[in-house]
Amino acid sequence: MRAFQRIAMWTGAAAVLWGVKASLGLFVVNLLLVYVIVAVGLNLLMGFTGQISAGHAGFLAVGAYVAALVGMHAPQVGAVGALIAAGAAAALLGVAIGLPALRLAGFYIAMATLAFGVVVTEAILQMDVWTGGADGMYVLAPSLFGFPLDSDTQKFWLVLGTAVLAVWTAQNLAGSKVGRAFLALRESDVATETLGISTAAYRTLAFALSAFYTGVAGGLFAYVVSYISPDAFSIELSIDFVAMVILGGMGSIGGSIVGAALLTVLNQYLAVLQDFKALIFGLAVVVCMILMPGGVSAAWKAALERFRG
Amino acid sequence: MRRTTWWLATLAAVLLGVAAPAAAEVGVTADRILIGTSQSFSGPLVFPGTEEIAGIEAYLEYVNQNGGIHGRKIEWKWYDDGYKPQDAVANMKRLVEQDQVFCILINQGTSPVMAVVPYLEQKKVPLMFPFQGSSRLHGKKYVFTSFTYYDTQTQIVTRWLVEKKGFKRIGIIYQDDAYGKFFLNTLKKELEAKGLKIAAAESVKRGATDVAPQVAKIAQAGLDACLLALVPGPGAQVLKEAAKIGLKKTKLISSGPLTDEKFLILSGGVGEGVWGLSLWPDPVRDDSPAMQEYRKILKKYRPGHEPNRYNLYGYFYTKLFCEGLKRAGKDLTREKLIQALESIQNWENGIIPPVSFGPGDHQAQDQGFMVEVQGGRFVPISGWLGIRDGKLVESPL
Repeated sequence: MRAFQRIAMWTGAAAVLWGVKASLGLFVVNLLLVYVIVAVGLNLLMGFTGQISAGHAGFLAVGAYVAALVGMHAPQVGAVGALIAAGAAAALLGVAIGLPALRLAGFYIAMATLAFGVVVTEAILQMDVWTGGADGMYVLAPSLFGFPLDSDTQKFWLVLGTAVLAVWTAQNLAGSKVGRAFLALRESDVATETLGISTAAYRTLAFALSAFYTGVAGGLFAYVVSYISPDAFSIELSIDFVAMVILGGMGSIGGSIVGAALLTVLNQYLAVLQDFKALIFGLAVVVCMILMPGGVSAAWKAALERFRG
Repeated sequence: MRRTTWWLATLAAVLLGVAAPAAAEVGVTADRILIGTSQSFSGPLVFPGTEEIAGIEAYLEYVNQNGGIHGRKIEWKWYDDGYKPQDAVANMKRLVEQDQVFCILINQGTSPVMAVVPYLEQKKVPLMFPFQGSSRLHGKKYVFTSFTYYDTQTQIVTRWLVEKKGFKRIGIIYQDDAYGKFFLNTLKKELEAKGLKIAAAESVKRGATDVAPQVAKIAQAGLDACLLALVPGPGAQVLKEAAKIGLKKTKLISSGPLTDEKFLILSGGVGEGVWGLSLWPDPVRDDSPAMQEYRKILKKYRPGHEPNRYNLYGYFYTKLFCEGLKRAGKDLTREKLIQALESIQNWENGIIPPVSFGPGDHQAQDQGFMVEVQGGRFVPISGWLGIRDGKLVESPL
């Protein structure tokens, strides 16, 4: 049953990607997969440790600019090197944000991270010598082991590979000591400490991990779009990421994938509307939350339970 | 090695079902032409975006009701990018690969436009008249640009102030980013060419609401004129502050897209006497036949929209685009459209100076005229001004 379920889910995911490609194009599939990595990374922070970040577009921007600049000034390291650099730079910043955030709780963390997102775009504007400021910059095509990846198709394999790796790692992490420590943190700080787990260390680790995921996604974002500017990393994008995690289900990796896919596809389909796009988008999210308060993953589990009687 | 890559790429392409269309021309059938664009229907530029589209649709419906072009009706698909480059790229690829449009007509904003230009050039899809004023789009084969570049605009204004008005002490209040600094640097270069220096330069942070210190410093500097390279909010704030402290000696001059009716409304009636460079006749009051026709068509096909610079832009450049389609003839192709537009010489239109294109010259307009705010509207105080062979030239409006 388990194996059957897994095969069914992977087939379903492939079918959905195929459908998106047929109706909206491969570019949207690539963008969707990038957002899947972000949502899974954000879920490690939000869903597992309960710290809400409203500034993940900032980490995405850091990753995108680092990967683009590495590609420009040190092309010999290739896509893998550039993506690791992008993730590492974001992770360092994640630690820098995570440390002061240790003193904060709940909405105050959200406020601090929200500010971070704004600061990043402002910093990009000020460092216009390197970043091109408001004019943005073009991103050179990445190369993988010496092969240039120019087309959407070639980039698709890179993004898909990274996304699968990211999901697999997150799933294994969730079942490990680290994942359980994260979950303990979400439930109670005091109880976690009494178990001999350092809340400070694990909170910071969660920030670093989540930022690393998002930084790598940022590098892929830069490759996929081929052009980056501060306008790409607005507050709305950060809020979209939070919505993806909540809609998919806090603490569910599979849920994050579904959440990212749903919101990306919904946004693209609603692009035909001139007037009511924001309203319909917002309403759709609100209705989903009312009908599925635990997100898609909880609703799915409940449906399975009912099916089994 | 090369061969293997090639085969792998081909295999991948076939597997994913990416195949080049083999029609006479993409987006063109016996009785219709399909065009499209990505625009701002949400985000910071939603007002200009929806107004440009209103102007475009009004003219296209007018053309379609009068039999179309060479018997073909024009159909359209618009998608929202919310001023985000990633969504602009998604929309363009959807238009070109899924919807198979013939060309792109009028998109908007530096980031969304810059993001899609390499892709459209590579696919050889014509990009008609993006709404933006950066000269970085100069010299692209498949891109036709619209209005006077921002650097040319600053050149025109500076030379007019120095040569025609005899001003010597000129300063600037600019937005503290690449946009504002662009005006600052052009002004600096222009003044240096005249043996002058910037007499005062004050910066304003993006989104700032308090501009009192900057205006005070400008007042102290005793300038003849001060350029405002700002967005409407802070720009209107400067006018209010200048009115409050009674700054009479210094002429305030709105730069670039700031010369717009919305800016005047925001300033709440204190903008009297301000100068600016206008690229368009007054959309509401100019009564030349071409402008009357514009208001008539807009009123008939998009009655909910009042005449303004944005829907005038959409209307005018759609008209120019249709002129290109007409000249391209019955056997329409993308290449023929480019050639047809390049053949346009001295196209009299009654709205802006005659338009000429040529191979390597894809810019529709490179002039503007000085205006002064009188009775809450922009009144012309010069003829059409332009730079020819490095010199300021003036022709009657």
